[in-house]
Amino acid sequence: MRDISFGQYYPVNSVIHNIDARIKILVTLLFMVTVFFIVSYTAFAFMFFLLTVSILISQVPYKTVLKSIKGILVLLIFTALLNIFFTSSGNALITTKLLVITDQGINFAIKMALRFTLLVLGSSLLTLTTTPTELTDALEYLLKPLKLIKIPVHDLAIIMSIALRFIPGLVEETDKIMMAQKARGANLDSGNLFKKIKAMLPVLIPLFVSAFRRADELADALDARCYNASPTRTKLKVFKVKAGDIFVFVGFAIVMTAIMLDKYYVGSFVTAPDLNGFDVSGLDIFIYNILYRVGR
Amino acid sequence: MAVELDHVTYSYNVNDAYRVDAIKDLSLHIEEGTFVALVGHNGSGKSTLAKLLNGLLLPTSGEVKIFGNSTLDVDKIYDIRKSVGMVFQNPDNQMIASIVEDDIAFGPENLGIERSEIERRVEWALSKVGMLDYRKNTPFKMSGGQKQRLAIAGVLAILPKILVLDESTAMLDPKGRSEVLKVAHELNKQDGITVIHITHFMEEALNADRLIVLDNGKIAFDDTPEEVFKRYDELKAIKLTVPWETQLAISLKKVGIDVGEGIVKDEELTDRICQLL
Repeated sequence: MRDISFGQYYPVNSVIHNIDARIKILVTLLFMVTVFFIVSYTAFAFMFFLLTVSILISQVPYKTVLKSIKGILVLLIFTALLNIFFTSSGNALITTKLLVITDQGINFAIKMALRFTLLVLGSSLLTLTTTPTELTDALEYLLKPLKLIKIPVHDLAIIMSIALRFIPGLVEETDKIMMAQKARGANLDSGNLFKKIKAMLPVLIPLFVSAFRRADELADALDARCYNASPTRTKLKVFKVKAGDIFVFVGFAIVMTAIMLDKYYVGSFVTAPDLNGFDVSGLDIFIYNILYRVGR
Repeated sequence: MAVELDHVTYSYNVNDAYRVDAIKDLSLHIEEGTFVALVGHNGSGKSTLAKLLNGLLLPTSGEVKIFGNSTLDVDKIYDIRKSVGMVFQNPDNQMIASIVEDDIAFGPENLGIERSEIERRVEWALSKVGMLDYRKNTPFKMSGGQKQRLAIAGVLAILPKILVLDESTAMLDPKGRSEVLKVAHELNKQDGITVIHITHFMEEALNADRLIVLDNGKIAFDDTPEEVFKRYDELKAIKLTVPWETQLAISLKKVGIDVGEGIVKDEELTDRICQLL
């Protein structure tokens, strides 16, 4: 239960840590959008390369970043299996009475899994290199326009920062309650899935009660420190965009353009060679053609 | 007068038919610059009293005034909260940010204070509690005493005139407790901040200027700690114990050895016994 690395700031002083949080959020958002436009395996390889280099620069151990995948591993496998079993287009590789596995299904599943992995790694790199305060301050800044339509941006930012701040506390609390219930003879680890879920009830109820109690105390603490006292709230930390931040942003914009070109341009003027149905698109075709000629 | 309570009653309405009076017709005056210890067993109403002081709770009847401003006056509520800094029991549930200096800055940020001034206050507040070196750290791995000192720094940054410690030592180990008490006494002596220290540890009241014992929503004793400790038997009746030095002196008296009254410190007791020998 303890290894929830997602959302936990890793304190070292690196180039990535020092990028303006607003730029980091924007780039991460663009990255997430871009990931859904990737079509070729070449582009996937390039994105993984880019991410690996970023992680190396950030000085966050690769293991710590990889831990974030552990949390969604089940989801990853599950969606991949669904994609394999329920895609009916393409050439059938295996046909049984119940289901058909096609080459396109497998391709789709692999690409989806790669996409998920990129998404999770990318977003956890953001939270690992940005303090929750920077993150919420930056979000507050970026969402400022929403104030015009009376959305309480600042309150939302505080809610987010508190949520991030309390994750380790709640994990610790869950551990404690689980141990306490085990000490009373609760059986949390055996039985089938439903039994296990049912056994979690004596853990969840005290956890919720304690979370509400915490929330109550925190509300008092917020009030005691004059929360909402002044309509013009000030900030200890101010944002300043540096030359390096602009460089990062422009650099990523170029990458994004390249990915878009790969999908909409490269793929449209070259035709895929027949690879027994194996799906190649965009730049993959070029690389295949080159390798094919070299091979001959 | 820093704090004035005028016939204050506060009742929790459990439902229409059943209500609990936590504070009953209580009147109290606290002068600026005093160190007040407020002691009572569980359910005596001490935490309710604390929350009445900065308007987190409003009196059912009567009036609470802080430097002349009533907590019932809606326009003055932030003036009151600015002058009454409150530190609660659980240090983990009072921190808003995950980095020390961001958390300390939260109060002044809410008040819309200029950035350079916030920086000054953060530095001042952290140096007051002796935690300046931890400015950029995260509080997760700190000891309870350190976290609670940070919580004190967090309220100091709004420059309160009154510091209310609402059972702030209850969850700490003896070392943490003495750290927090030391900081509270220093703030009282050096900066003239009125301290209201709420606790159920009688011995923490030793160095206070004034000891108020609360029982069942009413003031049972209100005097200097020495005077209150003399009434050992009456305290016992409301489930409070007196420091063992005092208890020993009283027991000695019962068997005919009079070491004098009002003993609260162990050196004092040793001296008196030596004198008798």
